[in-house]
Amino acid sequence: MSVAESTIVVTGSGLVCGAGETVAGVCDQLLSGDSSVRPYESWPSENWPVKFGAEVTTDNRTLVPERKLHKTISKSDLFGIYAAERAIDGSGWKSWRDGLDESEQPAFNDQTGIIAGSGGGSFHSNYDYLPLIESAEGELQRFGAELSEQVTPMWLLKNLPNNVLCHVGIRAQFKGTNACITNHCASGPLAVGEGVAAIRNGEASRIVAVAHDAPFEPENLLYYYQLGLATDGIPRPFDRSRSGTALGEGAAAVALETEQSAASRGAEVLGKILGFACVGEATGVFELDEEGSGVNRAITMALADADLSPDGIDLIVAHGNGTPASDKTEALGIREAFGSSEIPPVTAFKWAFGHMIAASGMADLALTLELLKRGEVPAVPNFEAPDPEFADFPIATRSGSHQIKTALLICRGFGGVNTALIVGLPTQ
Amino acid sequence: MSATRDKRRIAVTGLGMVTPVGNSAAETWAALQAGKSGGAEIAGFDASGFSTHIAAEVKEFDPEKQVPDAGRYRFASRAQSFALAAAAEALRDAGIQPTREDSDRWGLSVGAGMISVGYEDLCRVESHAWNDRALAPDGMLSDSFQVNPKRIASWQSNAGLGFLTRQFGIAGYATSVHTACASGGQAIGTALKAMRRGNCDRMLAGGFDSMINPVGISGFCLLGALSTDNETPTRASRPFDATRNGFLLGEGAGFLVLEDWDLAVDRGAKIYAEFGGDGNSLSCYRITDSPPDGDGPIQAIEQALRDAGVDRSAVDYVNAHGTSTQMNDASECAALHGVFRDRIDEVRVSSSKSCMGHLIAAAGAVEAGVCCLAIRDSIAPVNANYGTPDPNCEVNLVIGDPAELPIRAALSNSLGFGGSNSSLVFLNPEFSAS
Repeated sequence: MSVAESTIVVTGSGLVCGAGETVAGVCDQLLSGDSSVRPYESWPSENWPVKFGAEVTTDNRTLVPERKLHKTISKSDLFGIYAAERAIDGSGWKSWRDGLDESEQPAFNDQTGIIAGSGGGSFHSNYDYLPLIESAEGELQRFGAELSEQVTPMWLLKNLPNNVLCHVGIRAQFKGTNACITNHCASGPLAVGEGVAAIRNGEASRIVAVAHDAPFEPENLLYYYQLGLATDGIPRPFDRSRSGTALGEGAAAVALETEQSAASRGAEVLGKILGFACVGEATGVFELDEEGSGVNRAITMALADADLSPDGIDLIVAHGNGTPASDKTEALGIREAFGSSEIPPVTAFKWAFGHMIAASGMADLALTLELLKRGEVPAVPNFEAPDPEFADFPIATRSGSHQIKTALLICRGFGGVNTALIVGLPTQ
Repeated sequence: MSATRDKRRIAVTGLGMVTPVGNSAAETWAALQAGKSGGAEIAGFDASGFSTHIAAEVKEFDPEKQVPDAGRYRFASRAQSFALAAAAEALRDAGIQPTREDSDRWGLSVGAGMISVGYEDLCRVESHAWNDRALAPDGMLSDSFQVNPKRIASWQSNAGLGFLTRQFGIAGYATSVHTACASGGQAIGTALKAMRRGNCDRMLAGGFDSMINPVGISGFCLLGALSTDNETPTRASRPFDATRNGFLLGEGAGFLVLEDWDLAVDRGAKIYAEFGGDGNSLSCYRITDSPPDGDGPIQAIEQALRDAGVDRSAVDYVNAHGTSTQMNDASECAALHGVFRDRIDEVRVSSSKSCMGHLIAAAGAVEAGVCCLAIRDSIAPVNANYGTPDPNCEVNLVIGDPAELPIRAALSNSLGFGGSNSSLVFLNPEFSAS
């Protein structure tokens, strides 16, 4: 079988979020129904309209032991490097490479690529300029003249959106094809889709796809609230009383290669990537198509890509961000795509660790593969009342064991971008 | 999942540019042939205190005239306005637009600059929420801190994508990438791959950026990456010259309309060039430095040639990344020597940054367009401001006057901070047909 036709599998994964820093641990928490969306302590929340968030509490040195590196990268980068390196560890690529004949190692490195999905930046990174603005008393001429006395020379490099790509590459010496996708919530799934395509197209033999973001910060939280997207509590995906999302942060990653490549190394396969699609709704930055046409088209195209009918899907992991408009149009789009077929159980994870924006889709993927392996479906534990506009939408309300072979994951981002990703058990 | 088997042929049928040397592709192309520099004292703000106070700014850009439905995009950033204008020009030039019937077969791939919150917005944070040299977030809750949600929209990482897909009704594959100075090249390469695997029949692909503002220029001044030739702004960018001392910061946008070859031929479209191949690599050397031996860029160039199905002997013109920094130019020349070896003297080389400065995330996109124009007109544009040879940069530069020569294949390099390398290969339609 040619590479172009081969099945792409996942042989490693990594995750860090407000609920922990291992895929298995966060999965346990998902199934237990406990949420790590909680009152935040990063700044006094007393006067704030939103007092909840899901911050990463894992010590930075647990994530990346090299303290020197902490000074030259952002918080989001730290998460990304950690998750990517866990996926690489899980894949066994480095030890496999190091066991190869020395003459074969350069080709291995050139054939190993990295595709990152990045939040693209933050508001707080610019605050490094605030002391200077203060001392320059608003005079630009003084701001320019005193610049180098007050701001680190490395400021720009510390805040490059593509830092994870570069640092993971340098640390592992993976020099192959690469990309850094800055497409809001679609960034992670697009990294997977582009990674699969790069392997099929012969550009790389292996790809680590990673997505990272750190959107939980005061200014961003305020703007999400002002836009009507943030709730003061734990998000309630698809519930009639849902009133917004909660911001989380973190990163997730998967190691991708062909089924034959994994088999030849005797590597454990965590799951298969069966289909992918990405479409825009052409609606603007925040606006959504009222009928969820983008969700519908993305699902339909991903099913065709996977050569599956809607009946072939056993579980839907929805975007379910808990905002009134997104959840409604997502439900309508799913229903339209499934047509006369029965919609399988629908679950969503953002109640558990908030919305990780650029990292959310990749986190959903890492967790879904673990759930498939365990044969478990987590409920949306705080789902109480269906929305009359999609009353029969089958939200999973009780966690439990299910025979699931395939899952469909939806991601929706600003810019009207929708992705659908279909994954399956290693035996699928 | 579907697979890429026989490579689908892709045509470039439309170009649009907003650059420091012209507010259209035609003006920009004329300036690049004449070796005209866009460098000048910064006019957009008082830059007199900065170590570098020159740049190549886009001049006389009028959003009301150049941005389609400008009223809708009053809150778009300067870079996003450039994008809307250049994309509109590219679609006009191609003579085709998405329709209701085929909007889902159109895609978009953009290289967007870093999210850049303006200096004025930082001053707003400082005046409301900065106390005793520490952030005081409660100050953000005051009424006078609040802004129009449309401004919040313009700060999102994929805001440009949102504006462009809406304005032109593009409802297929949509992606936004950022690999620093390689972003524009990478966006266009991403589009090629998406089209080859059948995601779309037509795509709008390009890049846009503007960092000529107090915060943007600060980052580069701090790094010491900019030329400090404040007295001679038109000569500040001199790629490959031994006396080069940093780049000239530019701004702008470049867009290409890419079409399935057969669809373009069937509708009688004018075809600038065939978009033959894309190559990507990571240098894995250092975040700031380029590998002295060209390792990294070499792999990207060779991958792009392989992807295009052409041998190195077919390349007649290289539009170099050529930033005018000591290290980057030498590294790129080492890479060109590594790839072209005994053919190195037969390949004509120039850097468009010698005229228009470094457009950062837009650079690779504009320069891809320049390659298409070079192929169409059989002209290699000049590498301006060259005077003193550098033994580390011995390549066959186009000096003085543009070189007239048939170009079979043109290579465009974009090498980013952090070591992302993007190479694109464009083919002369007459050559690729043979």
